[in-house]
Amino acid sequence: MIGEAFGGVLARAQAGDEAAFAGIFRDVQPALLRYLRVITPDAEDVAGETWLQVAAGLTAFRGEEEAFRAWLFTIARHRAADAGRSRARRPTAPLALAETPDQPVAPDAADLALEAISARAAVALIATLPRDQAEIIMLRVVAGLDATDVARIVGKSPGAVRVAAHRGLRRLADLVERAGVTH
Amino acid sequence: MPGFPFPGRPGGEHGEPLLDMIFSGRAVPPDAPQEVHDLARLLAALAGPAEPGELAGEAAARAAFSHLVSPARISPRAPRPARQGFRRPGRHGSRRPARTRVGLAAALTVTAAALAGAAAYVGLLPGPIQLIAHEAVGAPAPHHHREVSGAAGSLQDTRGQRPPASHPAPQPAGAAGATKAAGRVGVAKPAYTPPGRGTAVDGCPTARTWQYPALPGLRFPVLPLPSPTALPTPSVRPSLLPTGASKATGPGQKPKKSC
Repeated sequence: MIGEAFGGVLARAQAGDEAAFAGIFRDVQPALLRYLRVITPDAEDVAGETWLQVAAGLTAFRGEEEAFRAWLFTIARHRAADAGRSRARRPTAPLALAETPDQPVAPDAADLALEAISARAAVALIATLPRDQAEIIMLRVVAGLDATDVARIVGKSPGAVRVAAHRGLRRLADLVERAGVTH
Repeated sequence: MPGFPFPGRPGGEHGEPLLDMIFSGRAVPPDAPQEVHDLARLLAALAGPAEPGELAGEAAARAAFSHLVSPARISPRAPRPARQGFRRPGRHGSRRPARTRVGLAAALTVTAAALAGAAAYVGLLPGPIQLIAHEAVGAPAPHHHREVSGAAGSLQDTRGQRPPASHPAPQPAGAAGATKAAGRVGVAKPAYTPPGRGTAVDGCPTARTWQYPALPGLRFPVLPLPSPTALPTPSVRPSLLPTGASKATGPGQKPKKSC
């Protein structure tokens, strides 16, 4: 997250400063891609459409950095849902998992044994959780949103979000233990 | 799972603060269970810096931004920019706007030409232009050059009139659809009144019932064609009615106003 400087960066971006917008992009894009890889197989395309809509509505946005991220990830969730509906209307032949670069593959023990586990391996592990638990963990951890914002995005109560998050972490801990993470 | 308290389990009342600590990214106490430390490391990697390939879409995002949020577009009255920029691989950009503009201009030109032709054929153009059209394509001559005849006791002046529905005027090719539009070009039409009533809103008779009073024996001379440089202005056109002539009215009809 950009932090205290976000207000100034946003104002310059809204005034048309491309470099300021690029700064916002570099700050949010990794989190956006990782979140989308958990909820949709078209993460790259959906991320592009999300930024297009963000750019179109940027001048009208008013708020702090958390509100901006909540807005952006809400757009991403909607675009992912649209992509899912489009995919359902036009079914295609399923590809092997190895041919789909955006499809997270469950990490093996070697990946998890690394002292510095990679983000891609972590995303792959999260993606093995139930969809709602994985999404909530990603929004809490990767997007940096609090339980209230996450509840508004996924359409649940804050209490249900907390319960789902904790259950997801419990499952995650079990997976890590079974995978044999070494320290 | 031993050593890792969760809500609902023995010692679970202490689990939530640890989990919230993990979610918030704060440092886990050293005496926390190992599983908590593992989870904290996993989630830290999840929220770590960009890895190779994750910023590959920056150029496209910047291009879309520069198109949608350029300083020239940012004004209180700037129109909402069209959605452009991001293209999926394999899709081609649309070139329709240029072709659409050309096609629209061509359609407007053809329509204008058709309207002008139709106006010429119903005698709606200004005098000099109508005369040129008369000499060039055989359109009706300007009204003051037409021969009038009083033998039949009626005079039909097509000035400002639409042709009757039962006897449509000859239309040039391609202008059939523009007849109605030509009838509305440049001429203040009286309001339509159904057949039988005879008068429009302002008291002037409609095209179908507009007839000069029958004046038997009255024959109007054919006015000579003026030279192109000596066309009379509308204010000096000779009146087609003798001054002081009374307007005969039929039974049940109101006296006709000068229209």
